[in-house]
Amino acid sequence: MDFSPIVPALPSLWEGMLLTLKLLAFSVIGGVALGTVLALARLSSNKVLSLLAGFYVNYFRSIPLLLVITWFYFVVPFIIGWITGTNQPIGAFTSCLVAFMMFEAAYYCEIVRAGIQAISRGQVNAAYALGMTYGQTMRLIILPQAFRKMTPLLLQQSIILFQDTSLVYAVGLMDFLNSARSQGDITGNLHEFLLFAGLIYFIISFGASTLVKRLQKRLTV
Amino acid sequence: MIAIENVSKWYGDFQVLTDCTTAVQKGEVVVVCGPSGSGKSTLIKCVNGLEPFQSGKILIDGTSVGDAKTDLPKLRSRVGMVFQHFELFPHLSIINNLTLAQVQVLGRSVEGARQKGLALLERVGLSAHATKFPGQLSGGQQQRVAIARALAMDPIAMLFDEPTSALDPEMINEVLDVMVELAHEGMTMMVVTHEMGFARKVADRVIFMDRGAIVEDAKKDDFFGSPRSERAQAFLSKILSH
Amino acid sequence: MNYNWDWRVFFKPTGIGNEIYLDWFVTGLGWTIALALSAWVIALLLGSLLGVMRTLPGRYAARIAGAYVELFRNVPLLVQLFVWYFIVPDWLPEPLEDWFKQDLHPAISAFISVTICLGLFTAARVCEQVRTGIQALPRGQAMAAYALGLSLPQVYRQVLLPQAFRIIIPPLTSEFLNVFKNSSVASLIGLMELLAQTKQTAEFTANLFEAFTLATLIYFTLNMGLMLFMRWVEKRVRVPGLIALGGK
Repeated sequence: MDFSPIVPALPSLWEGMLLTLKLLAFSVIGGVALGTVLALARLSSNKVLSLLAGFYVNYFRSIPLLLVITWFYFVVPFIIGWITGTNQPIGAFTSCLVAFMMFEAAYYCEIVRAGIQAISRGQVNAAYALGMTYGQTMRLIILPQAFRKMTPLLLQQSIILFQDTSLVYAVGLMDFLNSARSQGDITGNLHEFLLFAGLIYFIISFGASTLVKRLQKRLTV
Repeated sequence: MIAIENVSKWYGDFQVLTDCTTAVQKGEVVVVCGPSGSGKSTLIKCVNGLEPFQSGKILIDGTSVGDAKTDLPKLRSRVGMVFQHFELFPHLSIINNLTLAQVQVLGRSVEGARQKGLALLERVGLSAHATKFPGQLSGGQQQRVAIARALAMDPIAMLFDEPTSALDPEMINEVLDVMVELAHEGMTMMVVTHEMGFARKVADRVIFMDRGAIVEDAKKDDFFGSPRSERAQAFLSKILSH
Repeated sequence: MNYNWDWRVFFKPTGIGNEIYLDWFVTGLGWTIALALSAWVIALLLGSLLGVMRTLPGRYAARIAGAYVELFRNVPLLVQLFVWYFIVPDWLPEPLEDWFKQDLHPAISAFISVTICLGLFTAARVCEQVRTGIQALPRGQAMAAYALGLSLPQVYRQVLLPQAFRIIIPPLTSEFLNVFKNSSVASLIGLMELLAQTKQTAEFTANLFEAFTLATLIYFTLNMGLMLFMRWVEKRVRVPGLIALGGK
């Protein structure tokens, strides 16, 4: 084992990590936003809306993320082409981002839904009794409380998402894992680079989930 | 002020309200009592549209609650409501609980809402707690804040849904005192409660409900003097014996 | 942009042997099911063992199992797969290494790597479910069993595990479904399971919408079918009068 070739490769590994983190950040923001909308739709009294949202969630939860990533890589450029009428390539990053957002939204939706349902009906009644509209009630009363309760779960899901971003390897995006693999190939030290990548993933995930557990304890006390 | 006409409500096949008719005049205090499951809480929630009802009509100040064209939020902002479990917003400080709807619903200025909120806190004797959070207050204090929160909207009438039944006995009076004061000031009130002492002191009329129907609707003195129905008699003797 | 929809594509010959494209999907599904089931056997056995270890009174067993869970939960599945596929074979003793790399059919060696990888990965998750199930039981259960004179293995086998497994059927079901979904990573090391066959069909025929739609439908149906099956299992093993413990 010779780990010394990793040092000169650090800049390109860092580039990869930046891409991983960028993908993660956008996916979390987009996924939570879309997931919240889906959760509100699922809880809506409008039957059609809640059925549609339910179907969306069940659909994405029953297929592999890797399938979604690959699907979107092939198909999103087509769809964008149809919409805009042009034939522009959109690149793997965008298609992966869309795939992650839409896929993770299904999982975030279930967390947000449970969070909203954990807030008592009385809070909704009290807000309505003060003359608030549905929008005000959700925005000012229910969601702030729900998000506070479910922050640990949302973070845990995001740690899983952080690990899952490595699947963009399938479409050749140069994220952290893929840069480690390609640097390993170049230098002929694939073993060391892969083990190093695994170690970094472990440190980040383990550190983050330890922090989340601590946060959870503080929230429940 | 509040007119309830032939209101009926079903949960699926189960009828929870049967043909309820009554009215609350301006300045009147009406107490609604009855055994648990009699539909009294459901009825008062129908008054500001928190529960839908399938037939009949409820008018508040001439506006029909069940009408699809009615702007319910606007109507509700004119009617105060106090809940059994207080329902203060736990993520907001006491003063923010009082100002939130004033600012967001009535469009008052933040400073104006604050002044109003502080004045009302003073009135219910809780000025010292303005910056605390609901979880730091006792049940009785929380319910007084909830009353202040409703009053901050300058309501034309107040609805109370069992405001003291979730409280420890020693805290009931501090809440009832605030309500009595409110009644003496001429507030229009509809109160679902088992507190017959409160009814004796300030009620104009007492309504007795059982199994979803209004069994008795009488002037206070008549009700306590000689309730006409057996069920009301049985209920009263049970409640008053301890 | 033009796109020629053609749902009959699945019945067209691939040009390789006598196969039509649908045969590819059938073969792929076969690999997917074989992978998932064999990985699940490993995950269930090892996961149960680890789960029990986490609840044992002794310190070391619980620590070892805890470390296992942290390690396998905090490293991405794909990294683990690369380790099992690219690195571990090189560490094998020479005759074994040669056999694995040269004598075995590449599909078989990939299959072995994915099965081990997925089995150990999922074991960490099963472990946590089993532990939760055991800890959800009233403490009195273990005490009552010990008081009757049962030995520690007997307490687990006769009293704790039968109850714990009934409680955790719903979360175990979703882990079971995850194994099927996660097995798709095998496509990244060249094993021609369902996703890889789909990709290949899409590339051969340019009918990518049809190919991916069929794959999606297969996964969706598989998922629903397994879920119904697990519900049936749950109902069959339910103890009369014990609804509250099931947490339903």
